[in-house]
Amino acid sequence: MTGPRRYVGERVRRNEDARLLTGRALFVDDVRLEGMLHVAFLRSQHAHARVKGVDVAAARRRPGVVAVYTAGDLGDFWRPGPLLVPPPPIPGLLFNSCTQVPLAKDKVRHAGEPLAMVVAESRYVAEDALEDMTVDVEPLPAVVDLEAALAPGAPLVHEHLPSNVAAHVVQRKGDYERARSGAHAVITRRLRYDRGAAAAIENRAVVAQWDPRAEELTVWDTTQAPIPIRNGLAGLLGLLESQVRVVAPFVGGGFGPKIMMFYPEELLVPWAAMRLGRPVKWSEDRQENFYATTQERGQIHDAEIALARDGRILGVRDRFLHDAGAYDPYGLTVPINSQCTLLGPYDIANYDSEFTAVFTNKTIVTPVRGAGRQHGVFVIERLLDYAARQLGLDRVEIRRRNLLRPEQFPHNHEILFQDSAPLVYDSGNYEPALDEALRIVDYERFVREEQPRLRAAGRHVGIGVVCYVEGTGIGPYEGARVTVEPSGRVRVATGVGTQGQGHFTVFAQIVADVLGVDVEQVHVITGDTREFHWGTGTFASRGAVVAGSACHAAAVAVREKILDLASHLLEAPKHDLELADGSVGVRGAPDSAVGLGEIARRANPLRGAVRPGTEPGLEATAYFGPERGSTANGVHAAIVEVDPETALVEVTRYVVVHDSGRVLNPLLVDGQIHGGVAHGIGNAFYEQLVYDENGQLLNASFMDYLLPTATDVPPVETAHRETPSPLNPLGVKGVGEAGAIPAGAAFAQAVEDALAGSGLEITEIPLSPNRLFELIAEAGAGARGR
Amino acid sequence: MIVEGTFTFQGPREAVWDLLQNPDVLVKALPGAKRLVRSGEDRYEGVMRVGVGPVTAAEFAVAVAVRDKVPPQRYALDVDSKGAVGFTRGTARVELEALADGRTRLKYTAELQVGGKIAGLGQRLLDQAAKLMTRQGLEALNQELRTRLARGSAG
Amino acid sequence: MPVNQQLPVDLTVNGVRHHRTVEPRLLLSDFLRHELGLTGTHVGCEHGVCGACTVLLDGEAVRSCLMFAIQTDGHEITTVEGLAPDGAGGALHPLQAAFREAHALQCGFCTPGVLMTLVPFLRDHPAPGEREIREALSGNLCRCTGYQNIVAAVRLACDRSPSLRR
Repeated sequence: MTGPRRYVGERVRRNEDARLLTGRALFVDDVRLEGMLHVAFLRSQHAHARVKGVDVAAARRRPGVVAVYTAGDLGDFWRPGPLLVPPPPIPGLLFNSCTQVPLAKDKVRHAGEPLAMVVAESRYVAEDALEDMTVDVEPLPAVVDLEAALAPGAPLVHEHLPSNVAAHVVQRKGDYERARSGAHAVITRRLRYDRGAAAAIENRAVVAQWDPRAEELTVWDTTQAPIPIRNGLAGLLGLLESQVRVVAPFVGGGFGPKIMMFYPEELLVPWAAMRLGRPVKWSEDRQENFYATTQERGQIHDAEIALARDGRILGVRDRFLHDAGAYDPYGLTVPINSQCTLLGPYDIANYDSEFTAVFTNKTIVTPVRGAGRQHGVFVIERLLDYAARQLGLDRVEIRRRNLLRPEQFPHNHEILFQDSAPLVYDSGNYEPALDEALRIVDYERFVREEQPRLRAAGRHVGIGVVCYVEGTGIGPYEGARVTVEPSGRVRVATGVGTQGQGHFTVFAQIVADVLGVDVEQVHVITGDTREFHWGTGTFASRGAVVAGSACHAAAVAVREKILDLASHLLEAPKHDLELADGSVGVRGAPDSAVGLGEIARRANPLRGAVRPGTEPGLEATAYFGPERGSTANGVHAAIVEVDPETALVEVTRYVVVHDSGRVLNPLLVDGQIHGGVAHGIGNAFYEQLVYDENGQLLNASFMDYLLPTATDVPPVETAHRETPSPLNPLGVKGVGEAGAIPAGAAFAQAVEDALAGSGLEITEIPLSPNRLFELIAEAGAGARGR
Repeated sequence: MIVEGTFTFQGPREAVWDLLQNPDVLVKALPGAKRLVRSGEDRYEGVMRVGVGPVTAAEFAVAVAVRDKVPPQRYALDVDSKGAVGFTRGTARVELEALADGRTRLKYTAELQVGGKIAGLGQRLLDQAAKLMTRQGLEALNQELRTRLARGSAG
Repeated sequence: MPVNQQLPVDLTVNGVRHHRTVEPRLLLSDFLRHELGLTGTHVGCEHGVCGACTVLLDGEAVRSCLMFAIQTDGHEITTVEGLAPDGAGGALHPLQAAFREAHALQCGFCTPGVLMTLVPFLRDHPAPGEREIREALSGNLCRCTGYQNIVAAVRLACDRSPSLRR
């Protein structure tokens, strides 16, 4: 018998790939059922209007139309959705909860809000029927601009509120005013970050089937959180939770919005399936996705940093506006992430942060990859860049002087994080990550040799080096059940959904190592409430941390059962046994080895008794709930070349040094980072949802909303550092969002550096070529005027 | 969206004015117009069929109200059109100037709100499409004017 | 043409001949997915930008969301299911194997379209450089991978499988 093979930490190829590569994986839109009906939604063309009536009579008469529903047809089922994440208990916090409704009744609050639902024999007929309907509306002036929204007399998105304020939150540590009064320098800037779309390539979809004989509802949903959807649907439809099965099969990218519970379509499709007694399917099209799937990231910060002469940060003050969109079902997760992440990897003793979340007549804002963290990083990193310039310090040096030192961990930032726990960094070792990034990008040589040489040749090259932290792996908990089958194969079931992260492999690695089996013999099932029905979902870079730890705990419990049984069977003490190659045997006696399948059979006998104190089968269920999130960190370094004539930016190098604790699978971690950086490049240069003053989205297609393509994204050079988290048995931290978070800050610094001396300041993201061209022109005019 | 421009008609101002007040003429001249009828004093209703860029041509119910009428110099139009693929609302102002050579210069300024699918999908092409349709419509009216004047002088 | 009129279409998909009667407005992507059950071809944008629905029409990459099913009458279509006829448990096409090896897919939704774009590209470009590979991929959107490992997989496939160059 060879020793146990270790999978954790290795570049293990993915178990799920063969199904995906051959076109055999099941996505929600692939579900085909006998007698299935198809849905299309009539959506508001207006961003803000009073609805006087929806005439659906002609649509109901169209051949092939089975049913048409408006708000009035929903009866008791019509009610506002739940508040998903109540705000943390911050003293003095104001929060106005206004959640979305299934179909708009008296008023529409954003373009694309659903007004009616058509169910028909085919999607083609359902869409034809939309053209039969007329909506009688009285348009209202739209609330679009964040500052105008708060002006006296502004039109109100929610008329029962006195203003468009969705929330007002102040969090403080130390005494900023005092710190400021003793400062050598105080630097103030207004910084903006605009809206983008998550743009998963798979749009949302829901299929529901009611089986009247079994009295069971099955729902296939492109959700990141199948279990909470199951729980909510059961409650709303008056069913037992066990009567509802929600399946999130393969999901074609999540990035946050697929966890927005409960989308109107997610409620209405199951409701209609029960009412009509036939399976019902709705698949979002891309244009709908631009209006109906949640979005992120409109914030305006007025920020100030107070510094000592040597560049040490004495304090930071930030006042910001956050665009909540038309409703706020997701609470304050995004702006609190911005507020907390601003502190970054730095030792900031005095912090005074205040934000106002604002209702606007735009699509709802919920987390999108990064979930507001990029805004915080952008603000602190930009302030440090201007501070370095004013104090005559190197940008790297000012960061180095302010990094938290290893002996300062765990570090309590004294404010509350989005999970309602205090913002305490669990572990970290920040300076070596900075040094490693500088080494890889060869910072010194670039700044001293290459940049001067290229500049002398008339080329505009610049570098950006930024640091960040990412709060990951928050609670409350996840669970897993590990079962050894009589075949010797191992089943792992967990509640989190999967959207490409590699859960089928990473969870298999963890379990395979504990049980000493081949990783390909471990079959992982995720996102099916019939298989596992406790848990929350995949968000906040928590899958590997929380569900991974639960898989580990369940596998350890199964291992104990194996050892107990084998000890009895082999008449050897447990500590003399080892598990390897799918068997258990006495160490040093390879002939004694018994396959785990055989042990599983013996654990579930047909005759005789199961010994007292034991359970049948080789199976265990375990849960893991971290005390709080674990904090990952890293450094991004970018080198760019800017053509000042065309304002085109070419990214020539991009380096990421990331510390997400113990790395379970470097292949997958690299993949997460590559994709995150590409998303960050999109946000930085291409992606912007453009709304006109009436709240109309002007670029609702991939022709006009540009995602980065293969020619826009450079190769990303990655390096991992591993500072284990003490908060979970695996020592891991999350990595799902790290690539996207600091990209805007890195590019802003690099582009400014490339055009150093021009007076150009980049205080906003995104930076489309058009916008950069304008900024370069303004800077040039400013320079000439001086 | 703002659509503005000028156009010179090959005929006198009164003739142009008459033409612009005649729904039967307008329905023939305006691209996509399928129907246009008088629904009241200075009010018209009709149906247009318009497509922009990737948005397939679809029907719009159009309601127009004429106001601030100063014959034959100027008038304003409140336009409200809606269809399955979107809506436009707004006001157009039209001024007619008699030129010394007997021709008429028409100056138009329209400020339109556009919403729905045509705003989200057709934005890039909307300005161009609006300009093109206006130009085509005016050319067609000019042609009609010349035909009428020729007929008038012949008869 | 009335929308509910039905027209015959006779085509070969992955070597199997099909005869169906369909509405003229039925998209090829919907025909493959919903009439033939070949759900490996995915739909991401329905306006020809994302490339997820790419299939081969007589050996050349086309976007199945921009074609009507009736336009393929008399033609031959290959979908991702045709690359590895024995399914997930069988032998992978060399390009598919390289994708797994290089971790060139995450959620896998865009992957069928990416594969069907690359198959004719590699047939016509036996030894592509990085720039060429990236340009070939520039009509396929991927939100997960940042494209880096897709490029690596293409190189790996070329190095390993001279057969791709046929």
